[in-house]
Amino acid sequence: MSFDQVNSGPRETGALHLIPAVRIPSDALDVEVLNAFEELQSDDGSDLIIELIDLYLQDAPPQILAIGKASGSAEWAQLKRAAHNLKGSSSTLGVRHVAEICEKLEAANCLDPSDGVEALIQLLEYKFAKARQALAAERQRRLV
Amino acid sequence: METFRVKFKQAIPNRVLIADDDPVMRHLVTTTVKQQDCEVVVVNVGREAYRILQSDSQFRAAILDMTMPFLEGLDLIRYMRSEKRLMRIPIMMITAEQDIKLMASSFSAGATAFLPKPFTPEQLQSAIRMLIGNRKWTKRAA
Repeated sequence: MSFDQVNSGPRETGALHLIPAVRIPSDALDVEVLNAFEELQSDDGSDLIIELIDLYLQDAPPQILAIGKASGSAEWAQLKRAAHNLKGSSSTLGVRHVAEICEKLEAANCLDPSDGVEALIQLLEYKFAKARQALAAERQRRLV
Repeated sequence: METFRVKFKQAIPNRVLIADDDPVMRHLVTTTVKQQDCEVVVVNVGREAYRILQSDSQFRAAILDMTMPFLEGLDLIRYMRSEKRLMRIPIMMITAEQDIKLMASSFSAGATAFLPKPFTPEQLQSAIRMLIGNRKWTKRAA
């Protein structure tokens, strides 16, 4: 089983314990940007970074689905709104590639097929999958 | 007999209204506001913030996302600045928009502060401290 398979698999498989406790370099996630939010940590025993990762991983997939659905039905305003929403949290948490693609989607001329909206959406799905692995690894590292 | 009229200064409310449809942003802003010993009233759509503001003006500050479903942050600012009981409440806009014209529109509508995304924890803390006028230092700054 590859590292990617381990990290992208559901938690109930029990495979996540294979993730090493050391930080895995990933260009999908700027870990320094994410972990800078440690300074907002409260004293109640919770881990703000884990909470942020969980919220992001819950919120991002429906946004990506909404982007794909809006593209299929040519609802460009909705596509740009979903891309805009995803860009904000992605850039703040250091999920760079996702944020960059969302920015391109926001700026794209959706009425021009040559502007590559479909290709951008495919790339977004791929880059988000990579980011999810990096976030899951960082989450697990913090639990150890 | 001489009579005295004593006028008590109205206490500043300790609640902050937060309206943002992004759960990550809501959590970050809520956490930071709570660290300043303020209570929070949190909503995820502009329309709900509008509904609350119609009957409740006891807020120390409002932190609004620019882009929300149904009713946007800019519309909320305009509403708050048109109501005498809400006029004094400082408002901060948060947005991922890079357009400088939107910043200008926010200030001309009556925003007190503007925080563009992405922001660092320091920028978020500074903006919130400035907004609520709280000089309490955070753990790192102490």
